[in-house]
Amino acid sequence: MLPALLSIRDLGKRFGGFHALKGVSLEVEHGEFIALLGPSGCGKTTLLRCIAGFLTPDSGDIRIGGDSVTRLPPHRRPLNTVFQNYALFPHMSVLDNIAYGPRRHGVPRGEAAERAAQALHLVGLEALGARYPRELSGGQQQRVALARAVVNRPKLLLLDEPLSALDMKLRKRMQIELKHLQEKLGIAFVFVTHDQEEAMSMADRIVVMNRGLIEQVGSGTAVYATPATRFVAEFIGEANLLPGAADGDGGLRLAFGTAAVPHPCPHPGPWPDIDAGQSRTGVLRPEHLELLDRADEPGFLTERGIVEDVINTGGQTLVMVRVGDALLASRRLGMPGAGLGRGTQVVVGFRPEHLHVVVGEPAP
Amino acid sequence: MTAALTGDPAVAPAAPPPTALRRALPLLAAPVAFFVAFFAVPMVVVLSSSLMAGGAPSLANYARVLLDQYHWDVLAVTFRIAALTTLAVTLLGYPLAYYLVRVVSSNALRRSCVILLLLPLFTSNIVRSFGWMILLGRNGLVNDTLVGVGLLERPVRFLGTETGIVIGLVYILLPFIVLAVGNALATVDPTLEEASADLGSSPFTTFWTVTFPLCLPGLIAGVIMVFTLAASAYVTPALLSGGKITVFPMLIFQQYSTVFDVHYGGALSITLLVFTLVLVALAGRIGNGGGNRS
Repeated sequence: MLPALLSIRDLGKRFGGFHALKGVSLEVEHGEFIALLGPSGCGKTTLLRCIAGFLTPDSGDIRIGGDSVTRLPPHRRPLNTVFQNYALFPHMSVLDNIAYGPRRHGVPRGEAAERAAQALHLVGLEALGARYPRELSGGQQQRVALARAVVNRPKLLLLDEPLSALDMKLRKRMQIELKHLQEKLGIAFVFVTHDQEEAMSMADRIVVMNRGLIEQVGSGTAVYATPATRFVAEFIGEANLLPGAADGDGGLRLAFGTAAVPHPCPHPGPWPDIDAGQSRTGVLRPEHLELLDRADEPGFLTERGIVEDVINTGGQTLVMVRVGDALLASRRLGMPGAGLGRGTQVVVGFRPEHLHVVVGEPAP
Repeated sequence: MTAALTGDPAVAPAAPPPTALRRALPLLAAPVAFFVAFFAVPMVVVLSSSLMAGGAPSLANYARVLLDQYHWDVLAVTFRIAALTTLAVTLLGYPLAYYLVRVVSSNALRRSCVILLLLPLFTSNIVRSFGWMILLGRNGLVNDTLVGVGLLERPVRFLGTETGIVIGLVYILLPFIVLAVGNALATVDPTLEEASADLGSSPFTTFWTVTFPLCLPGLIAGVIMVFTLAASAYVTPALLSGGKITVFPMLIFQQYSTVFDVHYGGALSITLLVFTLVLVALAGRIGNGGGNRS
């Protein structure tokens, strides 16, 4: 069997007293689109810089195509990077910027210029080759940075929050373009972002990082529907977190209603072994918390509450309901019904199979 | 406002109201007066006096300067010393600036180094040049050391040679190039060097294709500054020449301070100025040969 394109084992990195990476392991296959997702300071950029060679890890090993590159300087590593600020050479024309990589790899001047022109065509800027980077808009600079990287035909491309400097509309368009380009070229992308929507819409697999550790690796659907940890549940999308404890019979007693949630849960995904008394958190997405007509709706766990807020965001309505101490969110399509307003007494409920359970208590 | 920016003459705004103009004038007047008083007037005084001979306008002073082979010889010595000084200062100062900006990682250490570098500038030129007179003397520290470690068999004469003057000038002018290059280096985004490495450049290639071209404007500014200061230096050459070498500023000084001929001295000054400007302009041309730069 072929070795993975990129294989990272137990990577650790400290900056003084700050532990940026605490033993990170990850495998990336050929042609895969991986998003490294996490809040700032979670170690995702440190990880990317270790892969690129700008940082030397304190421990662990990085292999590309089976060969260890941990001790190789950046210019000897078979990969390319798109930098957050694009890092285009200001003293070179767009075409010279793109031809820079091929030239360094011994491609003759004429052929390098030809390949640069092709790469520029690929990103739709064939008319701008003679310009200088400062004469381009942010979006155009972004494309040039991309062309400068892919012209070297790497198997692995690292992207450090490449879209973060663009405005919302351009950003959405570039997300689609990037994804198409990645599929067309068959290059594996390792894409750092702190924007979960970006990660969900582009990546084959999302690597959720927090405090120097990988919390979960999985498809966008998987990390949303079956978060492995409370951090992932809270970081990806919105979540109602219901504190709970094992009841000793394999069931879970939630601070919601009076019923115990049966165990094992019919919902697929990791269901942590439950010992009596251990604290657990039930994760319930807002779209699974429904407003019901009656408290004994069959198949539902229900609870009475009072509406605190009704927020209409165009196609969706978010109803915030106070149940005891907790403020829960219920989301549904369409406009809010008449008669639903602040102070309305309602019944909220969910089907137990929609509940996902993670270890630990919700953060206060 | 927008019309003024787009330059559309049909909707060009009217002249600003007189009150605004009256308020703006004093603001403009101060810097203009400063430049006139301290830069334009002295130049005009020197230029006009150089164009006077025997109480009438004349080019006789310039004829006297340019038709005398001696002046050409002194000019050659002056510019040779200035060029050698500039070369030596650049070769020493560039690596030093690179070291300070890119290698020293501690801010405290960098700051101390910069202070050490600048400290001599706070003492008089005369004191520093006099110090070199003692160091470079026949039995000075430099000769003693070189003989002591066996690099020389017997003491070498530094005083009264161009080498001695260049050594003194290099010492005095080194901070200027270090500061100019250091500032330019500090503005080169390190990500650009990372990008270069990422695209396959060794550190050596990265330096010559990215770092060096990007701080070239700073280097050129430093080179021009050092060259003009070296060509116009008086104190250091005067003290280290031992009366054996004459540079152009010494001729000018003689005319003003000993002979009191401000007309001839003025012509000498303008001559040195013009030649220096021509050389600087040539250097600037070469520096800009790289093409379109920000």
